[in-house]
Amino acid sequence: MAKFRLEITKGEEIRYISHLDYARSVERALRRAKLPVAYSEGFNPHMKMAFASALSVGVTSDAEYMDVELADEMSAETFVSRLKTQLPPGITLKRGKELIGRHAALMAVVNLATYHVSLPAAEDAGGAAQDAVSRFNEATGITYVKESPKGRREIDVKQYIAESVVVKETPGSLEIKVVIRITPTGSIKPVEVLEVLTREFGLPGRLDAVQINRTGLFVSDGEKRLTPLEVE
Amino acid sequence: MIQIDPAILSRVTKPARYTGNEWNSVRKSPESVEATFVLAFPDVYEVGLSNLGFKILYHILNQRPDVAVERAYAPWVDMEKEMRQAAIPLYAIESFRPIADFDAIGFTLQYEMSYSNILNMLDLAGIPVLSAERTDEHPLIIAGGPCAFNAEPLADFIDFFILGEAEEAIEDVADAVVAWKKAGKPQGRTGILEKVAAIDGVYVPAFYDVTYNNDGTLKAVTANNSAAKPTITKRVVKDLDKAPFPTNPVVPYLDIVHDRIMLELFRGCTRGCRFCQAGVIYRPVRERRPETLLKLAQELVDSTGYSEMSLTSLSSADYSCLHDTVRQLISRFKEQGVSVSLPSLRIDSFSIQLAREVQQVRKSGLTFAPEAGTQRMRDVINKGVTEQDLEEAVGSAFKAGWSTVKLYFMIGLPTETDEDVAGIAKLAYKVLDIYKNVKGRRGAKVTVSVSSFVPKPHTSFQWYGQNSVEEIERKQKLLRSLLRDRSISFNWHDAPISFLEAVFARGDRRTGKALLAAWRRGAKFDGWSEHFHYDVWMEAFKESGVDPHFYAERERPQDEVLPWDHLSAGVDKAFLAREYERALSGDLTVDCRRDHCSTCGVCQGLGVDVVDWGARV
Repeated sequence: MAKFRLEITKGEEIRYISHLDYARSVERALRRAKLPVAYSEGFNPHMKMAFASALSVGVTSDAEYMDVELADEMSAETFVSRLKTQLPPGITLKRGKELIGRHAALMAVVNLATYHVSLPAAEDAGGAAQDAVSRFNEATGITYVKESPKGRREIDVKQYIAESVVVKETPGSLEIKVVIRITPTGSIKPVEVLEVLTREFGLPGRLDAVQINRTGLFVSDGEKRLTPLEVE
Repeated sequence: MIQIDPAILSRVTKPARYTGNEWNSVRKSPESVEATFVLAFPDVYEVGLSNLGFKILYHILNQRPDVAVERAYAPWVDMEKEMRQAAIPLYAIESFRPIADFDAIGFTLQYEMSYSNILNMLDLAGIPVLSAERTDEHPLIIAGGPCAFNAEPLADFIDFFILGEAEEAIEDVADAVVAWKKAGKPQGRTGILEKVAAIDGVYVPAFYDVTYNNDGTLKAVTANNSAAKPTITKRVVKDLDKAPFPTNPVVPYLDIVHDRIMLELFRGCTRGCRFCQAGVIYRPVRERRPETLLKLAQELVDSTGYSEMSLTSLSSADYSCLHDTVRQLISRFKEQGVSVSLPSLRIDSFSIQLAREVQQVRKSGLTFAPEAGTQRMRDVINKGVTEQDLEEAVGSAFKAGWSTVKLYFMIGLPTETDEDVAGIAKLAYKVLDIYKNVKGRRGAKVTVSVSSFVPKPHTSFQWYGQNSVEEIERKQKLLRSLLRDRSISFNWHDAPISFLEAVFARGDRRTGKALLAAWRRGAKFDGWSEHFHYDVWMEAFKESGVDPHFYAERERPQDEVLPWDHLSAGVDKAFLAREYERALSGDLTVDCRRDHCSTCGVCQGLGVDVVDWGARV
């Protein structure tokens, strides 16, 4: 039974859909493409597919990864070309490969996410922005308070920041690069990092109009970054 | 094209309601067509996109190379506030162009309590809510759907109505609009209104004057324009099997109310329940052939990727070839992971047998609609269901492994006594007992859902004076006191909402003044209990000098001119009067589909026939 790993996008057209909506859309595309996807047993069977990492409402992505299992054999080329014709606006299938042998679950191996953030800001925000970001990069022990229906939780922000945050000023906006660790015990959302940056470090900009794009998901050993498609 | 600040979209709930781009949505450039339409649904996206009628019209209009049609929904209150603050007009979600820039906007009237949203959407679009205040620069405002059969409360706001099934009528309207535009819009709005007034099923309210008697009742509705017909009769599709049915409907990203394939088995229902408006306005019964359904189902699965298919109709279990069709659908689509479901069950063991084969029903429990608690009451409403039918159906359901049953009832029906109300509770307890007898132990869960009866135009009960809010609340209280078992849960409807619904269901043009006043006072989303403000409506009635009780609670004499007498569903008023009489004496009327004709007048009057494939082979 063939198993494929796919690299797909979440484009501007569908920026505001949830991860659940996104997964459902892919499922429907698989069904339209009449691909012989394997189903779980049981009364309410579901497609055997899994994503690397959920993406928030309002966040786009250049590189989402998913594994999907078939009930039949099929070449990667056939699979990819058939699925491509049935994907809705905003989802592009960039690459796909067949997984041979046993593979650890995507969710278990992906441990790094890179983001490009575009933050609308005044024309002359450059100095203040650079300053805020440098102070953030040097600081230790920054806490972010996560309020959720489950309760209040304090998280140490810097443990999830894999690399120094980089900011570049362009007319009307700040272009920011954030690299975030995904760990078995948790992670932080890019928008939460931005909240800390604007609220506690004085990064100027309109956080309410921030545009976040995930540029990559990786398996990193601390030195080398591999995409889930390059991992053996 | 309207650009929406990402800050707005990140602040509102479910922003994907406002961003479109769904699979199978159709984007045409306005320059490439002769006329542009909007299908506007006066409720939220998840409700609107579930509507089968709009799916059909979207398909028909977009198939025309000379027309583009887009969609608009009522933005939820948070988005509306943002839009008004940022001066964003209501836009269509395919092209993000303001709906005010289109040639025509069609609203569907599914429910009286959505009327305030129509006014709000027009206003949000920057279009005057009153027809009389619109100029040649504004789109034509059209409305259709079940409530168009009493168009009068909306007569001041809608330029023209389409009565009945719009599959063919919408083509005629599109032809007229295209021709009018090509000719350089001769005589402006009046010109096009006179053209469409000639189309069968089209009602232009401005071409009629209404006069009143001293007692407030209607005196006459008379045409004031030579293009106006004395009576407007509904459109009906003669051959449903050949009628266009969309096999490439829009597939949303969001989880909508009916997030599945809707396969329409047939149209119409002639069981003849006397309270039911749909049973009259969609007459006669016309089935699709089983082979057509299988073909449509395949195309729908292929083009949508949905994993569930619902077999919809007014009473799907009455489809003559149901069992065979269901079996074939299940076996054909099992491999593709598509399940089949039935939205409603008839109260008999045949339905239970079917439900067993259709796995989807199992999850949610079974729903039955005895509608009334005593046999006397069920005979009054011509619900051809006996106590024994229900016992058998519930018994076989419990034997088959179900333990959850939902029962739908109405209170406030004509001739109802407290004994009939108490009968609802008795029936619920009986269901618990049946479970105990079948299983030898307790364990059934029964939900009793009770709505308040709203008399509707074009039904046998159109003359009936609705129970007052106080009387309904008294009956609800009585039921609550009788339903004390922990295995029974009891739901009921807000009596004030049903009262309002009754006012507008049978209102005349004067009730439109109250609607306008209520909307000006902030009424919107009245069908959503958290947004329904009874006091706002009562103030609006007072301000506009409209007595709501006159419309809801007054029993009309048979010879009174009714506001919808000039709008015909093809069913003779004499038939309805006869049925009302039979109701009061508890006489049953047979289903003409399986028995003799009850001479309602539809087939003879409209030149259509009952189409029942099971009966023909």
